[in-house]
Amino acid sequence: MTWRRRSIFDLMREYMERFEEMAEEIFEEAFGKPSWDVDSRTLKPLSDITVTPREVIITVDLPFAKPETVRINWVREDMIEVNAKMRTKVRFEDLGVSHREGEFSSFHCPIQLPVPVENREVKISFKRGILEIRLPRKRGYRIRVE
Amino acid sequence: MSKPVRIVERRSIQSGAKMLQGLPDVGLVGVIAASHIISKLKMSEVAYIDTDLLPPVIVLQEGLPHSPVRIFGDGNLLVLVSDIAISIQAIQPMMRAITDWIEEKGVEIVISLGGLATPNRQNIETPKVYGAGSNFESLEILKEKNIKIIERGFLVGPQALLLQYCAEKEIPAISLLAQSFYNYPDPEAAAAVITALNQIVEVPVNVSELLEKGEEIRLRMRDIMRRTQSEMMRMRKSQEYDIPHYYVA
Repeated sequence: MTWRRRSIFDLMREYMERFEEMAEEIFEEAFGKPSWDVDSRTLKPLSDITVTPREVIITVDLPFAKPETVRINWVREDMIEVNAKMRTKVRFEDLGVSHREGEFSSFHCPIQLPVPVENREVKISFKRGILEIRLPRKRGYRIRVE
Repeated sequence: MSKPVRIVERRSIQSGAKMLQGLPDVGLVGVIAASHIISKLKMSEVAYIDTDLLPPVIVLQEGLPHSPVRIFGDGNLLVLVSDIAISIQAIQPMMRAITDWIEEKGVEIVISLGGLATPNRQNIETPKVYGAGSNFESLEILKEKNIKIIERGFLVGPQALLLQYCAEKEIPAISLLAQSFYNYPDPEAAAAVITALNQIVEVPVNVSELLEKGEEIRLRMRDIMRRTQSEMMRMRKSQEYDIPHYYVA
């Protein structure tokens, strides 16, 4: 058997493929459930994750959210959750749905982190109804380029 | 053998119409803009798409079933819009069938309304609108209206194919793309694209309501955005970010 040393490009490709697979899995899982929960009166907001060499940048779309009520909690090392109260209660009827009953007053969004991050020096901003969380990445090992 | 995509007319279509396309894409810019135009002009359904390539979904409206992909009309204005994300398997046959129908009906010009995903969109106060055309005539229209042309780059999705298929058939077609969020519904970008559209085709709708009701629109469109995002990933929509390779023309 011929053994070939994996180049940095192989590693990057594998990393991207793994990231895409993970994103697909998250999507498939998300579609099996509604984006609302009547019991907890919460809506699941849209969110996005970008991994840069230094940071993990998470954005969450929070229309009608009261900025002062936005809370970010660490659930475990690789997961955070975002909660926020809405300025106004929204009923199914307000969303054009007449065959369901219930109202919603807050957002709840668990977010799986794709790479290890530090829980210190977290930067948070809220602009145009969009929450942005910047988490510094944990420094791992370096691959030497020969 | 029956065609994979049929366009079923509910009303007769007059020749020489202008057609807008607002299928789901980045920021749902086209869907939001097209829905706003349909609602404000009180347009009615004139045709619908019938195909086994879409998931088995119907849209209920006042208790009655409708196809999720429909063409609305009012006078000589037609608007193509969808209530569901278009799956990658359906896009090519559907856009080919729509282009054939556009040719058959003698549509004068086709204008796609869409978004151009822009990182850090939340820092942009007023989204800029860029354009692309199916032929020199279309590009001339954009130049006359001072709409900046996307000279080089990639377009992916329904509006990209419509531009290409219209070019093959020498049908004037334009894509108007406003800077937008990639995966968040963007009513501000929809307002910008309607404003640009009005320079080319007069569509008497006020965009201020889109801005005032922005939060409500974002809330209502979470589910279609989520499903569109999944399809965009499958069609490699992110290729629009790619820098085209160097070559000597």
